[in-house]
Amino acid sequence: MRVIIVGCGRVGSQLARELDLAHHDVTVIDEKMEAFNRLEGDFGGTMIVGDGVDDDLLNKAGIRDADAFAAVTNGDNRNIMAAQIAQRVYHVPHVIARIYDPLREEFYRTTMKMDTLCTTTLGASIIARSILDHADAESASTSVPGESS
Amino acid sequence: MTQSQPYVIIIGGGNVGYYLARHLLEREYEVTLIEKNPKRAEWIEHHLGSLNIMVGDGDELSFLRTTGIGRANVVIACTADDEDNLVACQIAKFSFNVPRTIARVNNPVNTRIMPLLGIDVGVSSTELLMGLIEAELGHTEVIKAISIKASGVSIIDVAIPENSEYAGSPVDALRLPEGFHLVSIVRDGSVQFPTPTYILHAGDELIVHSERLDPEALRRAVLSPPVHS
Repeated sequence: MRVIIVGCGRVGSQLARELDLAHHDVTVIDEKMEAFNRLEGDFGGTMIVGDGVDDDLLNKAGIRDADAFAAVTNGDNRNIMAAQIAQRVYHVPHVIARIYDPLREEFYRTTMKMDTLCTTTLGASIIARSILDHADAESASTSVPGESS
Repeated sequence: MTQSQPYVIIIGGGNVGYYLARHLLEREYEVTLIEKNPKRAEWIEHHLGSLNIMVGDGDELSFLRTTGIGRANVVIACTADDEDNLVACQIAKFSFNVPRTIARVNNPVNTRIMPLLGIDVGVSSTELLMGLIEAELGHTEVIKAISIKASGVSIIDVAIPENSEYAGSPVDALRLPEGFHLVSIVRDGSVQFPTPTYILHAGDELIVHSERLDPEALRRAVLSPPVHS
């Protein structure tokens, strides 16, 4: 599978490594050369320094032949624009955008029919679940007098 | 005032947004300018007293709701970032049903992209300036002068090059590609509405109405007539 990843931060580099290890054809784009330091020396994919919302650069990265596209830079709007170019201009079969702002994420998921991931709500709900589960366990154990150590 | 003035929201109070707001106010439009930097907003308020200026992010739904965006006729996003302009315009158009959205485009390749993503018009000053410079230097003879809505209709200004086989031919001989129609001719700064026998000169500017946006096809056609079969 040919995959383009825009943004080589923590998420982008991790994703790139994982797909590369699974023998997929990975191209990573980032504005900063240093970002690619996050990839290990044995990374077999392609690295391109440049603007991930630039149509010319996306063409160079092979967007016309891509099977999947992930926009995971630190900018919500950059991810939204890059993903929409992939989805609506080049019809890449599977496109996903990471969006931090929950309201914006909801708008783009529901109204604009994009495949999005809001790591903010996802992270918050996992942490909330963990805290509540822990509190439940605590109250369950303290509700039995004399049992707690 | 009996008739309500058109309501325009400008997002981004840089130089473009500031001068735009000033001109719209002079023409008695109702204008709200959105600027995220409070210091800049204060400066603008000081210089344009009658302007409604709001401090906030023009790409935030909850903030936009407070700007009366639901009754805006036009939203113009003119920050220095294309992606921010895109998002602001998309929220305006698809969340608040603003009839017309205009995005300033900093990277000229995005003039093509913006309409594909639902924005009515993408305006690139770089592209406009390039067109003027190239026309002046004679490299390219085509200037896309103006696009009309998302219908794809545009008015194109194309000069007849020195080496064109049309120089010296009558208008009648002119063969424009399908979808292009000659409107008028500008010669020595004055507009002509030519008859079929009007003889074209090198340097004449053809004002062409186009239903499709392929100025390159027009440029090729004006350089040399199609071969007769």
